[in-house]
Amino acid sequence: MAGMLSAVSEALRYRYLFEQMVRRELRQKYKGSVLGVLWYLVNPLVLMGAYTVMFSLVLHSPFAIHDYALFVLVGIVVWTFFQQAIMSATTSLLDQGALVRKARFPRESIPASVVTVQLVTFVMIMTLVCPVVFVVHGSLSAALIELPLYMALLFAFALGVGLVVSVLHAFFRDMEPIIGAALLPWFFITPIFFPIQRFPGAASHPGLEPLLHWANPMAPFVTAIRAVVFDGHSPGLADVGYMVGAAVLALVLGQLLFRRHAGELAVVV
Amino acid sequence: MSTSLRPGEIVLEHATRTFSVRADRGRTLKEMLLRRRHERVGPPPVQALCDVNLHIEPGQTVGIVGRNGAGKSSTLRVLAGIIPLDSGTVACGGEIVSLLEIGAGFGRDFSGRENIYLNGALHGLGRSQIDERLESIVAFSELGHFIDAPVKTYSSGMFLRLGFAIAAHLDADIMLIDEVLAVGDEAFQRKCLARIAQRIEAGTTLVLVSHDADLIERRCERVIVLDGGRVVCDGPATEAMAFYHRLMGTPTPEAVG
Repeated sequence: MAGMLSAVSEALRYRYLFEQMVRRELRQKYKGSVLGVLWYLVNPLVLMGAYTVMFSLVLHSPFAIHDYALFVLVGIVVWTFFQQAIMSATTSLLDQGALVRKARFPRESIPASVVTVQLVTFVMIMTLVCPVVFVVHGSLSAALIELPLYMALLFAFALGVGLVVSVLHAFFRDMEPIIGAALLPWFFITPIFFPIQRFPGAASHPGLEPLLHWANPMAPFVTAIRAVVFDGHSPGLADVGYMVGAAVLALVLGQLLFRRHAGELAVVV
Repeated sequence: MSTSLRPGEIVLEHATRTFSVRADRGRTLKEMLLRRRHERVGPPPVQALCDVNLHIEPGQTVGIVGRNGAGKSSTLRVLAGIIPLDSGTVACGGEIVSLLEIGAGFGRDFSGRENIYLNGALHGLGRSQIDERLESIVAFSELGHFIDAPVKTYSSGMFLRLGFAIAAHLDADIMLIDEVLAVGDEAFQRKCLARIAQRIEAGTTLVLVSHDADLIERRCERVIVLDGGRVVCDGPATEAMAFYHRLMGTPTPEAVG
């Protein structure tokens, strides 16, 4: 309890540091380039464009979904946020090694700031996607007001995972390639190009669909956000509960693991 | 932990810390898997601190001297709370401000002014607290219009000016300074020392690591000599420095004169 209180008072004291780090991260990467911060949008947009064209036009809407390109786009936006957040969190502590070695401050602020930078991009891209949905569908659902909640839950989940991978990578330099290798198959089993019921073999194996949906934390997140943005209805209560649980669990475990190993960071990075 | 200490008080009890010295400090999966079969090769771990006991009273000025690798910087980093101890305890009362490396915590692409905000934030200050001190920090640094240039264009002396100007404007109960003043020009060094003296008047504890025997003797009432991670001498500056000179094999100033 006392530990919790001191963690909260520390977080309050250093909130301006966190703000500074987010700003610095946002501006530093593309400082000196003409487009500046806009580059943060260009890369995910190009990636999404490529995937969308490939899967919707080249493969001719394999799942007979109306506006398949848009269906894929929403899923890719969600996945891109998660992937970028995890990948930038992994190396974040090493990237800021000079700071970690020579100053005392809450180390969580480093992975937290890079994940927050990705959230900023995520929000900007979602703000661009929603008008596109409106134009294509001709209307937007009232369920869209739930979107910020699910995005916040996904942010919390990504932050928790980010804390874990950042501290693990500081101690074991294998984490970065492992994360890179894990994200690719993870991407293909997450229902981004297909609704989960259409996964190959799901029709003949009744157990496969629930397994794909509940064993992969990203599946409920992608499905729920696509439900409110694209399908125009709220996700099921079970999905909402699952997302809350995944977010809380990731944050608590992430924080515990991080706190436990944060002390030695100045020595290992 | 620090609640029972007075501001500016420092207590180290049986402080021990070892480091493994290897080219790649991070461990890889392969090493983890192979460790069971192979004993680790490479140099043995280094004892940076070995059963160090220190009690520093508020307002004391303490110099730490010793040969390279004696554990001076490790001691400062332990006091600053940057690295933990393997065993023993460390406790510092009040706010600690450390100047351990020139330019640590500076974003190279950002201007001096922007870095003042980042650095202040690293010490737990908020925007308004930094706003209040900004003009005074800029004036102290004497960087003029360079304050709005990216710090990657700075010389090491200019880095020191900015770093020290920021540190001088934080309300420290304890100041930890590692061999950084040396890169400043004479006028700025004098200014720094005057500022430190002012702080000490106000009751701040100073712990200074330096190879500049003159500086230590002039500024510190107490000197601790470290060797191989152990305290080999701890006493009034003149006596401890005489011991240090004997340890180093350098003639004492008297012998020369």
